[in-house]
Amino acid sequence: MLVYHDAMRHDAAWHARVSLVLSGALRVWGVSGTVARDPDDPDGFVVARNSGPAMRVRHHAPGGWTVTLRDPVPGAQAPPGRHAGLPGLLRRLREDLAPGAPAGRLVIGAQPLFGRDLGGQ
Amino acid sequence: MAAVPVSVITGFLGSGKTTLLASLLRAPALARTAVIVNEFGTVGLDHLLLEASDEEIVALDSGCVCCSVRGDLVRTAGDLLARRAAGAVAAFERIVIETTGLADPAPILQALMTDPALADALYLESVIATVDAAAGAATLDAHPESVKQAAMADRIVVTKTDLSDPAASGLAERLHALNPAAPQLTAVHGALDASRLFGGRPYDPRLYDPGLYEVPARGHATVTTFCLRRNAPLRAVTLSLFLQVLAEHCGAGLLRLKGLVHVRESPGRPAVIHGVQHVFHPPAWLDAWPDGDHTTRIVVIALGLDQRWLEALLDALDDEVSELERNQNVQSCDPR
Repeated sequence: MLVYHDAMRHDAAWHARVSLVLSGALRVWGVSGTVARDPDDPDGFVVARNSGPAMRVRHHAPGGWTVTLRDPVPGAQAPPGRHAGLPGLLRRLREDLAPGAPAGRLVIGAQPLFGRDLGGQ
Repeated sequence: MAAVPVSVITGFLGSGKTTLLASLLRAPALARTAVIVNEFGTVGLDHLLLEASDEEIVALDSGCVCCSVRGDLVRTAGDLLARRAAGAVAAFERIVIETTGLADPAPILQALMTDPALADALYLESVIATVDAAAGAATLDAHPESVKQAAMADRIVVTKTDLSDPAASGLAERLHALNPAAPQLTAVHGALDASRLFGGRPYDPRLYDPGLYEVPARGHATVTTFCLRRNAPLRAVTLSLFLQVLAEHCGAGLLRLKGLVHVRESPGRPAVIHGVQHVFHPPAWLDAWPDGDHTTRIVVIALGLDQRWLEALLDALDDEVSELERNQNVQSCDPR
């Protein structure tokens, strides 16, 4: 079982990289919004659509992420749970922020790249 | 029995696909070729323009192969192979599929890549796009389908060069910016040496030269072509996660992805990866590196994808995998 360490601190390069991943994902999904460091959390980000609620994203080493509403409406359900890895985080954000964005899945075809008899050469 | 190479000839309406194919089929090298012609319309004409010789010609005229007759295409290819095995048709050694002028090549390639019944019998050799030297620039401006066709091609044939010089008109430069790795060949009235279009090595290391992709895609704001390069070997898990994220979030925009990957777990044998949108071939493993450059090079041709985003994504995923590895190592050393 993985143990998450909440006291993890990351450097500026890590923050810049994750910010770029998140802001790039917003563009891919066609969402107008911003990504900023969370002023209340050294390992966190705030992902906000130009209209609608902002999401608070927090990293928990190793490879865990939580997503919550930044300013939940009193009584509203905050999105629960942790997500393993960036792929899980990105899926969750897309579902919350861009539910209409196209979603695919990786398909590995049956056909070898160079033909079965060529043996990879 | 050896797998049969399949090539797809695509290109916008009137760009000279049928003229090129008819000319090629007269070459002795292509005498044993089966042709599948897809025509969009109730009465197909293109297959009548192809002179039958030893080749087998099948017309698919129930609709555009990319959107309505993918199943027909797979069935037709399977049927051709069955008839060849039964001796009912000449023992063809190659299949050429001519698409309609409006076809998106991606679904055609995916149909062939994913059908398990065809997997052992066929392999995709190349995508060839014809571009009209005289009308090509205007077509690229007006019809996104034509941009996609040229961007996805392995080879581009510029036709009607007797009417317009593609270098002088800027078309050649535009096509190069759109698809730097695709050689541009020229054909007048379809005349072209077939050996320049078909055959050759199934894997070409020149495709992975990052220098090819240093020219930004001018004139096609939506299509970007670039090469991601990594000096350090990639973990297999990182590569797998990267492809999963791309397929999930940008499948339709990922026109083609071709990579020569230094996988950390396989230092002496690079992996070759090829994908069309969200569909990938199983990775192929070369027996050795083709030259002294052992860096990972992943070529991406995409609609609206930013290179910096993919670079950051790849690095961030690798950070996470590395973090997990470190954590597991710490746990395995923990006496508790």
